[in-house]
Amino acid sequence: MTDDQAALEMRGINKSFAGNTVLADVSLSARAGEVHALVGENGAGKSTLMKILAGVYQPDAGEILIDGQRIRFARPSDALRSGIAMIYQELSLAPDLTVAENIFLGREPLSFALLRVVDRREMNTHAAGMLKAYGFKLDPRASIKRLSAADRQLVEITRATVEAKRVLVMDEPTSSLTAHEVEDLFHLIRELKTRGLAIIYISHRLEELDFIADRVTVLRDGRAIYSGVWGEISRAEIIRHMAGRELKEIFPPRAAARGETRLRITNLTRKGKFREVSLAVAAGEVVGIAGLAGAGRTELVETIFGAYHADGGEIVLDGSKLDKAQPDLSVAHGLGLLTEDRKRTGLCLNQPLASNLTLANLRALTSNWRLDKKREKAVAAEHIERLHIRPPDPDKTVALMSGGNQQKVLLARWLFADSQVFLLDEPTRGVDVAARSEIYRAINRLAERGAAIVMVSSDLPELLGMADRILVMRRGRLVAELDARQTTQEEILRHAAVDQGEQQAA
Amino acid sequence: MSDWIKRFIPFASLIALCVIIAVLEPRFLSSGNLASVARQTAVITVMAMGMTMVMVSGGIDLSVGSMMALAGVAGAFALAGGAPPVVGIMASMAAGGVCGFMNGAAITTLKIPPFIVTLGAMGIYRGIALLITDGKAVVGLPTSFGHLAEGNLFGIIPIPLLIVVIVAVAIHFVLSSTRLGRYCYAIGSNVEAARYAGVRVARCQIIFYLILGALAGLAGAIEAARLVTGQPTAGEGYELRVIAAVVIGGGSLSGGQGTVVGTIIGALIMGVLANGANLLGISSFTQQIVIGAVIVLAVTFDEFQRRRLETAGS
Repeated sequence: MTDDQAALEMRGINKSFAGNTVLADVSLSARAGEVHALVGENGAGKSTLMKILAGVYQPDAGEILIDGQRIRFARPSDALRSGIAMIYQELSLAPDLTVAENIFLGREPLSFALLRVVDRREMNTHAAGMLKAYGFKLDPRASIKRLSAADRQLVEITRATVEAKRVLVMDEPTSSLTAHEVEDLFHLIRELKTRGLAIIYISHRLEELDFIADRVTVLRDGRAIYSGVWGEISRAEIIRHMAGRELKEIFPPRAAARGETRLRITNLTRKGKFREVSLAVAAGEVVGIAGLAGAGRTELVETIFGAYHADGGEIVLDGSKLDKAQPDLSVAHGLGLLTEDRKRTGLCLNQPLASNLTLANLRALTSNWRLDKKREKAVAAEHIERLHIRPPDPDKTVALMSGGNQQKVLLARWLFADSQVFLLDEPTRGVDVAARSEIYRAINRLAERGAAIVMVSSDLPELLGMADRILVMRRGRLVAELDARQTTQEEILRHAAVDQGEQQAA
Repeated sequence: MSDWIKRFIPFASLIALCVIIAVLEPRFLSSGNLASVARQTAVITVMAMGMTMVMVSGGIDLSVGSMMALAGVAGAFALAGGAPPVVGIMASMAAGGVCGFMNGAAITTLKIPPFIVTLGAMGIYRGIALLITDGKAVVGLPTSFGHLAEGNLFGIIPIPLLIVVIVAVAIHFVLSSTRLGRYCYAIGSNVEAARYAGVRVARCQIIFYLILGALAGLAGAIEAARLVTGQPTAGEGYELRVIAAVVIGGGSLSGGQGTVVGTIIGALIMGVLANGANLLGISSFTQQIVIGAVIVLAVTFDEFQRRRLETAGS
């Protein structure tokens, strides 16, 4: 496998959505038997590039070559047929089928040739053999819906190895795995390399790349900023390439005076999600919550907001107890939740921008039963201006807006609702760099005005840049409180990571 | 642009339909015939106004026909017992309102899909109507009550048309210019998002079903006035015509979309189609086929729009 020709080559890829350039002249080549790391911040264009490779999107310009042959993918099945397989971040398994059925979905072993009956026994044996070889402790007959997020990830990986003939793309494969499972995965990756697969490995955990990466490409704002052999430049340099500017510039300074405690949580528990969480947030303060996927962060803020009933504990907001678990009461008390999943719990997608923006505070626009639509337009225009929402059209259906602008609409919803305590769950997920700094600036203004802010984020540089204190959650518990000025990404991850002993205890 | 087309297509179809029928059969345009179209469509249109609200909020109510019958019978009992016409109408609306409230309360507290709850309610209300009347029509209504269906204002405007206009203006105002109306679209578009924005979803939903029930009661009173009896079998199959009116008018089964004006056009398209077919001597069997095809076309168009929006959003 020392053949110098690239197994996969993407040349001069350009892609834009609704006039926004997402990828500009990006080239990427991956050789057989090599792990090519693709790194970059949220919104740098990694996912779009990989979706082009998977045939989900068509590039506006540029070409894809497999073993030197130019190839066009009109649809995802074309890419699969060329031996390109993906492991997506959002899992894509069929929950009602078994592990084995998912692994062989669409390529089941058949018996009684003409009848095309699925040979279940053959499928289960084959799957069991693969899982054993990979070191994954899974029952091939188990139904997916009973598995943990980590186990599902392992199924997903196993399936992709069946599909992948030439290229395997892994998008943040370790995000929900334990340390031990990560080791198994790295072992498997080395094994797949010897089979001659080219592996594209997307991650923002640079430290884990030391174990597996052969080459690295850094994407920033839709451009390939650096490409070279792993280890050629230092990690610090890679981080600088990813950010493209000093941290100070992305995270504008904040001059907020600390006031009285506005939100106090005592021993809050929701069974199976989190246990005995206590925290307090003062006016003018930004408290960050870090943790791995599944640590219970989203469940915590949703429970504080009243979207779910707590099984125990107390929530006190500006001196009044919130114990009804009713979002309408929380909103009336000045609490606002910027949800993690804006399409599921945030936006009314087929409604206009203005009605999404004003939804949490229509009372302020009502007099004598009548909605003052002129004032609504004015309010929308004011917030569009303040947060630079694009396109600046209050009647625009939000489904047709970009993710970053949708997120700004939701933030504006809570600004207009005059919320005092903000729960921000992944406030910049899927948001481009320009929009991110505007969101950061808006958060700072809120803190300066005396709001108390809780910010859940998986983006560690963001937490380090924005929070005053960082709380780390692991398996439903708060395990550390760190001063954001003193701590490092490595320290946060050390607290957040689940070790083997704990995995078995749980 | 697409919004404009979506609004325009049902309206253009209605006009085209009227022109075609008028050319084939000039009697269509006589004031007598137009008044009878208005009278025939009034019952469906009144209920379709309430159904627009329920469907915009993402719900559906299959029990409207049964509520109408039960409410009509209730009003007829009051009238036969000597109550003045106004009290009879109020009794009908109250009975319908109670039925609607029960639907809304069951949907929100039991958390069962509205389709299932109201499918059950359809049987329950019809059964109650038949039980309390012993399956026979309630007779002995004062002849003056017939004015509600057959009377005219100033000698030319049919009373049912007047009722439709008042109801339509009221529901239009609620949907387009009140908080409740805005919540209705938000709930229908994404019920979870509405809840997370602090909307009291269950309370709103109960109000929507209650209003629909009260309007079904009003429709029941008009129907009873037309027949000058309270028929426990009235309104059978009306639920599909009411839902069809909303859907043809651009309302979406998946919620968040629909307008009063659209629904009126939808109801008129069906009314004109039926009237035109009668005038032209087309059998009622053929009419059913045509109306069925129109519904499928309207929903296809709606789906097409929705999918376009979804792909653009990704």
